[in-house]
Amino acid sequence: METPITDYDEEIKNCSCSYCGNNCDDITYLLKNKQIVGVRHACRIGASKIINDQDQRLLNPMIRNEEGILEETSWDEALDLTAKLLYNSTRPVLYGWGETSVEAIKKGIKVAELTGSVIDNQSTICHGSTIQAFQNVGHPVMTLGEVKNRADVIIYVGTNPMDDHPRHLSRYTTFPEGFFRKNGREDRTIITLDPKFTNTAKVSDKWIQFNMNEDYLLFNALRILLKGQKIESDEIAGVPITELEELINIMKNAEYGALFFGLGVSQTLAKQKNVDVLIQLIEDLNRYSKWSMLPMRGFFNVSGFNIALTSETGYPYGVDFARGYPRFMVGETTTIDLLNRREPDFFMAISADPGVQFPGYSIQHLTQIPTIQIDTHWGPYTELSDIVLPSTRVGVETEGTAYRMDSIPLFMKKVIDKPENCHSDEWILNELYQRLEMLKSKEEK
Amino acid sequence: MEIMINTGTSVIQAFYEKKGSTLKDEYRQSAAVAFMDAKDMEKMSLNPRDKIKVKSEWGEVVLYVDKSHDAPHEGMIFIPKGPWANILISPETYCCNIPTYKGIPGTITKTNDEVLLVSELMNKVYNKYNLKEENLSDRPVYKKKED
Repeated sequence: METPITDYDEEIKNCSCSYCGNNCDDITYLLKNKQIVGVRHACRIGASKIINDQDQRLLNPMIRNEEGILEETSWDEALDLTAKLLYNSTRPVLYGWGETSVEAIKKGIKVAELTGSVIDNQSTICHGSTIQAFQNVGHPVMTLGEVKNRADVIIYVGTNPMDDHPRHLSRYTTFPEGFFRKNGREDRTIITLDPKFTNTAKVSDKWIQFNMNEDYLLFNALRILLKGQKIESDEIAGVPITELEELINIMKNAEYGALFFGLGVSQTLAKQKNVDVLIQLIEDLNRYSKWSMLPMRGFFNVSGFNIALTSETGYPYGVDFARGYPRFMVGETTTIDLLNRREPDFFMAISADPGVQFPGYSIQHLTQIPTIQIDTHWGPYTELSDIVLPSTRVGVETEGTAYRMDSIPLFMKKVIDKPENCHSDEWILNELYQRLEMLKSKEEK
Repeated sequence: MEIMINTGTSVIQAFYEKKGSTLKDEYRQSAAVAFMDAKDMEKMSLNPRDKIKVKSEWGEVVLYVDKSHDAPHEGMIFIPKGPWANILISPETYCCNIPTYKGIPGTITKTNDEVLLVSELMNKVYNKYNLKEENLSDRPVYKKKED
């Protein structure tokens, strides 16, 4: 049992966490000598991100030498070389952005436009299919506040918030007392649909196990049952029909239902078609009751990138500036497809780690091209990076704006000072932009 | 044995990833693990923390094996997302931009090979810089600036 932290001299309240799409903004940082020594209210993962391991912190810009070892250098040298490589490439990709502020993203979009790059974020590997489905079918949206105050039936499909959004249940959906749900947990029914008996399933009232890759079948069966039609087989996707009938009855009779879905739906075989039919199910349910849905967005500002890019270019992710104007084509201008086709000749990751996130086959191409990392910590991608630019942590060392998973913008405070030689993503991108402009005006002369 | 590979976030793996200690053994212990149904482990006479070689169409990797807390899921293993799982998953996007991270068919065999640390794994599998063994460690290896 860990003992509570009592050795601190300053308490900073109402900070916003910089881990997942919950963007919990009730976090208290405990400081001693202007360093964070403790965190209150945050979950285990959020706290680990705020307190942080300093052994692997990137502190100085680095360029790889001839022996293949990273060597510390000055900011000017590292930025000049990055600008030169980016300016002279024909198919650059700027990837990442999920863990930085909207302010930095805006600068990034300017860099992409100037250089004719593809700009893409983590949606391309997680909820991109969800965004496609929203464009296909629509999005019956709600805010998390509505769920807290109104929802009596909550369904989690293919997601395990107890592991990757740990405070989702306690802060927004299941346990809090709401205006119309005075008794909190007792007033709510929680149902989890997942192939595994996940930690979320363990705290739910009901767990429905279905076969992997058969989500599309399952959701269609639910729609059929909702419309009062008969299904001839005894089970669908490994679930007995009687159990599905029971589920649809609970959904139909809800006063206010909220459905959350995760990568279990958007990353399996039928991808955006899964989400298409899930949205249609919610649409159909609205004939009987009030229902809405939300994807469980991963990083704290992955949704903010989609919003910022849509307002600047008209498209949510995977935007290609190669022709001088923005283009977006799924499977064509998106990072993984580009890497699989071995197209890019420059790759920059901003606050993201492709080494953790991309399939091995796609990573193989990164060994053939110049790779740049803008991040706070040494990670798997650093092992493949030619230039490393150390940045600061938003919400801890830098202020900024981020969008919660339900598209609510939240301001994130600066609490402690940054390491001396690190700079914010916004500063780095701005410096890069100025250098690129200089290269451009030189060429035009 | 033939199995289905499932990947995703686990709270322990995310804890070390976000803490920023990906090079260390603690990250390897949390992310280079295949969580298996106890019945499947019995069939292969595996004990927790034994090592297995997992193979898919896209590559092979050595992982620790452990008893799943989310059982029953016979015929399926769960690997927390990370550099180890990435070697096995399918890059196929079906023109929908998302690689197939879940539901990959694979096979497993018992092995005595070592589970690699992040720096060893990234350099042995992708081998971008031809680094010598002494340059791979559980701490960042780089050259300090000479003043």
